[in-house]
Amino acid sequence: MLGNQFDTKDFALLAVVLLLPAIGAFVNGVFGKRLGKEAVRLMALTAIGGAFLASVVTFLSVPHDGGRLSWTVWRWMSVTGQSGNSVPIDVKFSVDAMTATMMLVVTGVGFLIHLYASEYMKKDPGYHRFFCYLNLFCFAMLLLITGDNLPVLFVGWEGVGMCSYLLIGFWFDDEKNARAGKKAFIVNRIGDFGLILAMALLVYYCGSLTWEGIDNSKLSLLAPVKIWPIGNLSKETLPVFLGNIIIPDKPVQVYAATLVALALFLGCAGKSAQVPLYIWLPDAMAGPTPVSALIHAATMVTAGVYLVARLHFVFLLSPAAMAVVAVIGVVTALLAASIGLFQHDLKKVLAYSTVSQLGFMFIGVGVGAFAAGFFHVFTHAFFKACLFLGAGSVIHAMHARIHDTDRSQDMRNMGGLKRFMPITRWTFFASCCAIAGFPLTAGFWSKDEILWSAFSNNVVNSKAAATPRMAPYEWPPWLGQAIYWGAILAATMTAFYMFRAYFMTFHGNFRGWSIVRGWTDPHAGHDHHDHHEEHDTSKPLEGPEPHESPAPMTAPLVVLAAFALFAGFLNAHPIHIAPLGHFLEPVFKGAEGFVSEREGAKGLMWVMMAPGFAAFLVGTAAAMYVYLNRAGQPEKVFAEKAGGLYRLIYDKWRIDELYDATVVGMVDALADIFTMADKWFIDGVLARLTAMLTALAGTLLRTLQTGRIQVYAAVMLLGLGGVGWFMVYPHADVTADDTSLRSTGEVKLAAAPGYGYTFRWEGLTGTDSQLTERSAVTVRLQPGEKKNVTVFVKNAFQLETSHTVALERPGLPPGAKAQSDGKGAAPPNVPGMVRPDIPTGEIPADDIHKLLLPRGADQGNNKGAEK
Amino acid sequence: MNIFSMLFRYWPAIAAAAIAAMVPSAPLKLRAVGKDEADDAAASAPTTKLRVGLAIIAGLTALAVQALVTGADAPVPDGAAHDEWRHLLNVLIGLPLVGAVAVLFMPRQMLSLLRGFTLAVLGVGFIASLWLLATPMTAGWHFQYIRHWIPALGVRYHVAVDGISLWLVVLTTFITPIAAYASFSSIKTRIKELCFAFLLLQGAMIGAFLALDLFLFYAFWELMLVPMYLMIGIWGGADKIKAAVKFFLYTMAGSVLMLGAMIYLVWANQKLTGHLSWDYLALSRVALARPMQMVCFWAFSIAFFIKVPMWPVHTWLPDAHVQAPTGGSVILAAVMLKLGTYAYMRFSMGLFPGPASSLSANLAGVAILGGILYGALVAWKQRDIKRLVAYSSVAHLGYVMLGLFGATPSGMQGAVLQMVNHGISTGALFMLVGVIYDRRHTREVGDFGGIAKVMPVYATIFVIVTFSSIGVPGTNGFVGEFMIISGTFVSERLANFSGIHTVGAAAGVILAAVYMLGVVEKVFFGPLSNPKNKHLPDLTVRESLALAPLVLMIFVIGFAPNLFLDRMKASVDAFHTQFRTVSGQTVQFSLENAAQLLPEETFSPAFLKGAPVYTSDSTGDDSGAKADAGGAK
Repeated sequence: MLGNQFDTKDFALLAVVLLLPAIGAFVNGVFGKRLGKEAVRLMALTAIGGAFLASVVTFLSVPHDGGRLSWTVWRWMSVTGQSGNSVPIDVKFSVDAMTATMMLVVTGVGFLIHLYASEYMKKDPGYHRFFCYLNLFCFAMLLLITGDNLPVLFVGWEGVGMCSYLLIGFWFDDEKNARAGKKAFIVNRIGDFGLILAMALLVYYCGSLTWEGIDNSKLSLLAPVKIWPIGNLSKETLPVFLGNIIIPDKPVQVYAATLVALALFLGCAGKSAQVPLYIWLPDAMAGPTPVSALIHAATMVTAGVYLVARLHFVFLLSPAAMAVVAVIGVVTALLAASIGLFQHDLKKVLAYSTVSQLGFMFIGVGVGAFAAGFFHVFTHAFFKACLFLGAGSVIHAMHARIHDTDRSQDMRNMGGLKRFMPITRWTFFASCCAIAGFPLTAGFWSKDEILWSAFSNNVVNSKAAATPRMAPYEWPPWLGQAIYWGAILAATMTAFYMFRAYFMTFHGNFRGWSIVRGWTDPHAGHDHHDHHEEHDTSKPLEGPEPHESPAPMTAPLVVLAAFALFAGFLNAHPIHIAPLGHFLEPVFKGAEGFVSEREGAKGLMWVMMAPGFAAFLVGTAAAMYVYLNRAGQPEKVFAEKAGGLYRLIYDKWRIDELYDATVVGMVDALADIFTMADKWFIDGVLARLTAMLTALAGTLLRTLQTGRIQVYAAVMLLGLGGVGWFMVYPHADVTADDTSLRSTGEVKLAAAPGYGYTFRWEGLTGTDSQLTERSAVTVRLQPGEKKNVTVFVKNAFQLETSHTVALERPGLPPGAKAQSDGKGAAPPNVPGMVRPDIPTGEIPADDIHKLLLPRGADQGNNKGAEK
Repeated sequence: MNIFSMLFRYWPAIAAAAIAAMVPSAPLKLRAVGKDEADDAAASAPTTKLRVGLAIIAGLTALAVQALVTGADAPVPDGAAHDEWRHLLNVLIGLPLVGAVAVLFMPRQMLSLLRGFTLAVLGVGFIASLWLLATPMTAGWHFQYIRHWIPALGVRYHVAVDGISLWLVVLTTFITPIAAYASFSSIKTRIKELCFAFLLLQGAMIGAFLALDLFLFYAFWELMLVPMYLMIGIWGGADKIKAAVKFFLYTMAGSVLMLGAMIYLVWANQKLTGHLSWDYLALSRVALARPMQMVCFWAFSIAFFIKVPMWPVHTWLPDAHVQAPTGGSVILAAVMLKLGTYAYMRFSMGLFPGPASSLSANLAGVAILGGILYGALVAWKQRDIKRLVAYSSVAHLGYVMLGLFGATPSGMQGAVLQMVNHGISTGALFMLVGVIYDRRHTREVGDFGGIAKVMPVYATIFVIVTFSSIGVPGTNGFVGEFMIISGTFVSERLANFSGIHTVGAAAGVILAAVYMLGVVEKVFFGPLSNPKNKHLPDLTVRESLALAPLVLMIFVIGFAPNLFLDRMKASVDAFHTQFRTVSGQTVQFSLENAAQLLPEETFSPAFLKGAPVYTSDSTGDDSGAKADAGGAK
């Protein structure tokens, strides 16, 4: 609508959207304490409200033809890609239809929750800190959704994780909260590990990290990648028995697209709390309730879905990865819904419901219905935020009676609250209907479309023909239907536990009366931030009644409930009213050709709506019967009859304990082993052992240094004796210079001189019979000749000794040559003239090598040696 | 220039200064100094000091960033000669050394003179080093200065800077004054010796970063051991002597190996060319016989690996850190460890590219398993915060080494940037640990808990630095790690192993969060149970001022790393090209039993500029004079 008002390539209005919350965070964080609560509230609401207004303008400016509004700020860095290409990474933002919609949700719902929180947190001493974090969160979330490339998204991605960490642990003087924050951050980091890997892979394969760049070069992701065996591992490098087992005959190969998609999905599973990384989200409820509503229901946790939808073109290249996404989605939906069945903590129920709904969203994007998955993000933001805020309102009311976080959230202490807080009750009811899928509400339309897509879609890698090297994975025909029925089951459970929560909270009698008035916290002396009213213990046992929350808290509830009821008509495909769907269409046009309707599903759309509706009916009716008509009696019966199962479900299937025992335990043990090894082995060998050896040597040598003159004199005598003996005894050391042995056959022998030495050489042609002064002689050898030369040495003390040198010149004796030649003359020793002399008859093995060596080569060798 | 145009031009700096001046709040300081509200005037004085200090720091940072941004934009005429004052590096090295000598002649009773003089010298060094940033860092050497030192041995005084050493020099001149400033609050004894040690250390470290003559490098390398040894040994903790000796012996053992290899290399060069030279540039041309290449590579590299420190020769580091005083720890972690990584890059990779290339996959495995993963896991189990940070250094420097082993342009840029990042983040962490140690005289994690309540500013800064250390994007840690990890996957050197190496390196980010957040949780969060912690004062003025520049730099590098990368890019790329070419040549052509001289064409002329040139008739070289003449123009 405002399409031509702004420059689409330099859409600096985004600066307003992004910077307002950032400024809000800075001002509140640094100056908030001095400014006072009113100013903090004003700053925070202005920041997010202004961002919302700017987002509306942005939304209206987005071109409807699939174009983007983009704004490049500066060059962040550049990295090296394949074969040395430079891959620039800019701080760049862009907005398309999906981002614009998401921005509205983040800032709009964000504003409502800010407003709500400004009242909810009123009594908290950390008011400014809270709004600093909350504004910072909005900034990070906006970075996440407006980022034009993966690294910028990653800044927001980790930024929201960091804010989540800070906000979960907001009341940090309870160690439990701080630990929950830490757990959330670390589990998210496991996901970030996947995201970093995915970025490294994309840099290599696509040479780009921007959405557009990845889309343009996505076909290079169809390269096969060997994932096993890794490195140089092969059958040869391993013991035979092991090699045969773990090394397959053909290396295991997958598409790069599969790897990238799975790595990305690991990140998404972390952020969006999917199996196996969902465990942080229920614990994250330790944060203040508005935080749970904003971060852990409406916005941050949907970032994973957003990312999958954003990079749908990568996921579509790998039907296997899509199948993983969808299957993980349905498994999560079922698992979380089952845990939600019997939780007593109101916020825990909502938390598991969030996990379960996120599973639905992943089913949507996993089966290729990206618009449907994203639409569920949209509607879920409203009804889940409304539910959480409603729960917050209830907890706020309960605090009138109970000053304990856990017990004020326990539904067993509630009941009958509809009498005291009608607005909260009706908005909660509306959102319950929406999430349970009551026809025509928002949840109905979005969930129904996901279910239908799961039933009917088929995902094929239609581009696989580009790389005929590998057969692409194909979905088995039953997979879609299995997902569909799994999701129906989860939807039934959703309806059940949501209405269970509703009936337990708002209907029946208020059970909070029976809570003892003067009840105190078991950890005494422990200061609570959740105080909202101060009480005088002398009041009667009845105490104050729960009360409806003030207007800043109820107004957001009403707005959100309205959206929860009616937002579905923005994308009601079955009745052909889908403005949002049409708006989003260009974003997902890449899915064409990959996602098709399955053969057997044609025309079944209206029919397949029936199970979805039935799920709502069955779940709601069951909850009504159990908790409204029978006041929870059947649950108690079930708990008694099947105590083990009930407790197992109540203990969340003990997945946390399983992780503690396996993964966490292993890493912990490994760290312990390493720490011990570091102290005792590495330091032991390198520092202690070397020190000990040095000390030992010192100790040994020190014993010689006695300091007694007699010992020194004795040692000196010994030494003198030794030297004397050396001097007196003659030494016949002969050095032979045989450098010209091969060419001329001459060897120069030299005997070491000494005091009064005389020499007698034996074995020479003219052997001396007398001792002479001649200490050096020259011996001449014929080819093949062997000779022993012995030198006798006599010194001035008339002692004699001798030494024998064995000399040998290589080559055949001239005589042998004469025989084989038959000419009686040695062949002229001309280089280059190679005439192999092959003797007849038997050749001694030792001589064979001489035959192989041409004489010319001999010469060359000699020359080399001379040089 | 009139005042308005100045206002207009420098508005970011003025705005930053104004905002920073507003940051400290008076009531907070009141509680911080632990006095009654009665003496209001007394409490407001430090607040004013803090306001002014923070304003100056923020303003200067904004100015510097502004200058760097415009400096990067300014067109650089190719090959144009820039006015490089050739004594600048001499000043950088010489000033602290002269200052150290001057300190010896000052009376030890005049504490403020000693401290002021030291800070002034270090400050001048920092300002002088900023000059380096004003020069466009094209490939090749800058501010080269050559003099004969021992002509009989061919030893020259040859210093020069390029884009790689540039940032390490600036890091040194940036960190040392901060460390000195911070230690003056906690160290009260033997101030004169302390000042002497700081100045000597500064000079030696800068010298080692700038030296291009092996002999000179070795001299500086050994020289810097002495002041650090003294720092640990004199102002250290309970077990200081043992730690100091361990530190000294470890480093010395490596140095001796290195010296042996240096002598062999010089001898081999002398056999080939007939001239004695210790010059790095000249010796780069020597391709030793294959086995000797390997031997010399290891001899050099072991010395550097000990310094880095890499597994398994890292165990001196935790001991040294735990015993060292805060200032010593900061310098040790921030700068001295970088000498190991820098020297590996400059000397091991530069002189022996063949083995460095062929061993890189294995060494990268050691860096990942032994450094990134093992270091992180061991750090997790430490109960002493300082020990934990020390092991985290092992993990962080594993990333740096991985970037060097991977040897891709962006990986190496990331490695150099990560050296700076680690200097800033870990320097800040050690300073923060020092803050709490000064108050409680313990660093055991178990002695704390919930102190975010009494020290909110301290906790905030600690958490910011923690996130930087973890590598959360938006802080400096992320940029380096990301460049290194993506470089690892792209790397050709790591060949088949690049995939598994990338997975291992990326897994390190999980463990970093585990150990750092673990300590944050245990120290700052939870109930304030220990009564001794109930009245801890928050950061003092001095501590705040010392930490402020580091915290600012965390974000500056995090958001605008390109300011830093731009200035090292040309040098790193040139180094990478040379490494590729020369390692290829040595792998292909070096002989099994004889050394060879690589042809001059293998190297770029910019690299060989300043190498000794021999005239045919004289045995000595006259290049020093020539280069001087060239430099003087």
